[in-house]
Amino acid sequence: MGFWANMIKEFPYFMSVLLHGAVTTITVAVGALAFALVVGLVVALLKMSPFRVVRFVTSAYIELLRGTPALAQLFVIYFGLPDVGIDVAPVTAAIVGLGINGSAYLAEVYRAGIESIHKGQVEAALSLGMTPARAMQYIILPQAVRVMLPPITNFSIVLLKDTALVSVVAAPEIMFYARNLVTETFLSMQVYLLAALIYLSMTIPMARVVAMLERKRKAWR
Amino acid sequence: MLDLVEVYRENIASWLPEMGMACLGTLKLTFVSFLLAIAVGLLVALLRISTHRTIRGVALTYIEVARGMPALVILYIVYFVPPQVAPGVKWLAFSSFTAAVIGLAIHGGAILAEIFRSGIEALHRGQREAALSLGMTPTKAMAYIILPQATRIVLPPVANYAIGLLKDTAVCSLIAAPELMLRAKDLASSSFQPMAVFLLAAALYFVMSYPLALGARYLEMRLNYSR
Repeated sequence: MGFWANMIKEFPYFMSVLLHGAVTTITVAVGALAFALVVGLVVALLKMSPFRVVRFVTSAYIELLRGTPALAQLFVIYFGLPDVGIDVAPVTAAIVGLGINGSAYLAEVYRAGIESIHKGQVEAALSLGMTPARAMQYIILPQAVRVMLPPITNFSIVLLKDTALVSVVAAPEIMFYARNLVTETFLSMQVYLLAALIYLSMTIPMARVVAMLERKRKAWR
Repeated sequence: MLDLVEVYRENIASWLPEMGMACLGTLKLTFVSFLLAIAVGLLVALLRISTHRTIRGVALTYIEVARGMPALVILYIVYFVPPQVAPGVKWLAFSSFTAAVIGLAIHGGAILAEIFRSGIEALHRGQREAALSLGMTPTKAMAYIILPQATRIVLPPVANYAIGLLKDTAVCSLIAAPELMLRAKDLASSSFQPMAVFLLAAALYFVMSYPLALGARYLEMRLNYSR
């Protein structure tokens, strides 16, 4: 049978299975993004700490995580942690693994955003009697968010694509089901093309948003 | 409880040479796909700024599609699809190494094309106009005036891409390309010491990528300074 005949015949079945996987893909992406946003902010603030030891430990955290593949980190969490008596469910391992990996990246994005705000802003806030924490909360962060928004959205795209990796820790996402479908039907071309289309239908609109945000940011300045 | 020190003391002598050899595979894979991605990226960037609408459209579509997919999907398509669609066509049934290089270059070519384009567009238009008014052809202006200057601008992002690529080669273990992660997986299952093996693999990746990261940072600093 030809490519299209098979494609048309199996389309409803393939799509229902792959979209089922897409739910996990989105769950993992959103979970890891939330994890990375929160932990990344903590890491970024610690990196600006007045204490040398804290700054050093934070730098080591960032460098080590950014210097190793996400896949290696996932393997350590999913296959390594049971060695020390901690069993992790696949989806949890996926969210924590990609989340930790992303927190190191976002910490750098946050820091660049915060440093892009002119020093006079903090000085003005402090001279008005704000505490450093308040100055950060009311003056710096709200302005820095504008600068950080495009790289954070960009990061979300990368994160969404990286979720394809978590099929190796048996999290049932798109590529996990795609591989199963290929084993079942041998229609690798049709299955992988549909999987690619599902990813593209999510990443291309997100890329458009990044482009728009970047144009807007230029207009703000 | 796991005593990592003890595990390493017992096994490091047999693990390290094996994983060291696998590191060479990772470096080879990174290097070859980096060169191919540069070639693809440069070509696509030039097509992307072409004056022909159709050519521009084709280049843009390639960029959006190849960048929008996970590298893993591209690797699976390159490695698994041709032997099934065209059985018997020998040259299309790529070895896992070749498939990994092609897949990473398709993905990286799209990323690099955008980096190159922004580098070319960052140059002042007057540069090209001056070159043309001196009687250079557009091709000569590109080769002698624009590209040499754009190279400086794109060097830091290209270096960052190379670091990302080195880490991305780990994904190629999923199509059984001969590299570090594949070796690590084998060792982890044969030794029943996944924690120790994968931590060692992560450390080896760090040893390979950190010097690159320092180099990229140095480049960025120097190029900013001399502006």
